[in-house]
Amino acid sequence: MSLFDKFQPLAEARAALGGVSPAPIATPIEAVLSATRGRIGGREVLLAGTNNYLGLTYDPAVIEAAGKALAEFGSGTTGSRMANGSYDSHRALEQELAEAFGWSSAMVFSTGYQANLGSLSALAGKGDYLLLDSDSHASIYDGARLSQAETIRFRHNDPDNLNRRLERLGADAKRALIVVEGLYSMLGDQPPLEAFVEVKERHGAWLLVDEAHSFGVFGERGLGLTEASGLLDRVDFVVGTFSKSLAGIGGFCVSPHPELELMRLACRPYIFTASPSPATIAGTRAALRRLVEGQDLRARLQRNFNRLYAGVRELGYRMGSEQPGPVAAIILPDRASALHHWRSLLEAGVYANLMIPPATPAGLNLLRISLSAAHSDDDVDLIVGALAEINVPA
Amino acid sequence: MTSDSLLKARQAIGTALTRALPEHPHLNWHHGLSSEAGLDSVQIMNLVMEIEDELDLSVPVDLLAEVNTLEELAARLAELIEEQS
Repeated sequence: MSLFDKFQPLAEARAALGGVSPAPIATPIEAVLSATRGRIGGREVLLAGTNNYLGLTYDPAVIEAAGKALAEFGSGTTGSRMANGSYDSHRALEQELAEAFGWSSAMVFSTGYQANLGSLSALAGKGDYLLLDSDSHASIYDGARLSQAETIRFRHNDPDNLNRRLERLGADAKRALIVVEGLYSMLGDQPPLEAFVEVKERHGAWLLVDEAHSFGVFGERGLGLTEASGLLDRVDFVVGTFSKSLAGIGGFCVSPHPELELMRLACRPYIFTASPSPATIAGTRAALRRLVEGQDLRARLQRNFNRLYAGVRELGYRMGSEQPGPVAAIILPDRASALHHWRSLLEAGVYANLMIPPATPAGLNLLRISLSAAHSDDDVDLIVGALAEINVPA
Repeated sequence: MTSDSLLKARQAIGTALTRALPEHPHLNWHHGLSSEAGLDSVQIMNLVMEIEDELDLSVPVDLLAEVNTLEELAARLAELIEEQS
């Protein structure tokens, strides 16, 4: 009997993927050459699985700001926001995020994971309710576990199903925080956000939208699906990450409720961790400026994902989402087929993501492609061409 | 708990099983759902969503951590049915 015995099923699942190199899970990336090129297995490949939606990882202004802050303020803060780790730049980024939304308050977290962990666990306490979309990201489920609220799931993207659960709560629905995502990272689908807002208003509940994969992508100023849907004045909280469109690491929660400021005093994943490094904050601030004014990048990204979706559909593949978006999930019949597609794509010089149960909803086996504004038409054609060449075993 | 509630819970589980897990038609009610029946967390959560619809009640996610078998699930559901009636 060992503490490690419980990991045996995971070890067996990993072994079932085969011991060949490079591994499809935690694939070693030997070098990153640009926002769209890297080296894997000794070969240069197109990066089409990095969620680098705006392609800002090598943006000169971002690099310069981060480098300058690194030299000026050092490599780390060596402390939490509640102790010695609260610099002017952290506050400035929070103010810039709040201003971008036209809201009163924002909090910055050290990772996107912690933004959900902290926001959910602090906002919903004992006697409150968390209503989660069943396809929610692990950080949302983990935030619910850390909170002492009663957690109830509703069917994915189903406002009527949510409505039924709120009806059962009766007057307690006013103590319920509903959590949905602006874009679901596994299947690439989007929620019927306005319908969810109508349900939450009907019951006097609260709504948090996790825009991790939609921030920078949707909306005139890139604020996400909430902005794109014209709902900025009807949502209570938006959570997001710095590690996708903003090309850094960290996360945020922004709200029109000024009381969000009080959450700093009760939010364990915010209090008991070191604050983001000065370089991270400076790079993120530069990226945020580019994102807000990045209509050109969003147009480019949209062109790319429309082109990819059209090409993939033409090949006859089943997609995770009817609506084109920056995540294109190809649904494959089983794990072996998904693995075969992943390997074939890599052999053709394209890195995408293999996503398999239990990480995926409904036990689906997926080949997940993520697009970037930095991809060219030729890059998109390379992906589609590689898919077209895959020899599907009988 | 009353036998009526338990019967209702068992019937709801039976109906939900055929909808959520048609590939597992003969689950043993006394076997561990994950350890012996081999269900993953997503399959178990989907089963519970079907049960919620069937019984028209909300099942807290925490309840899933407390039960190992279908029989234990039926017992907890019966308690929930009585709490809400």
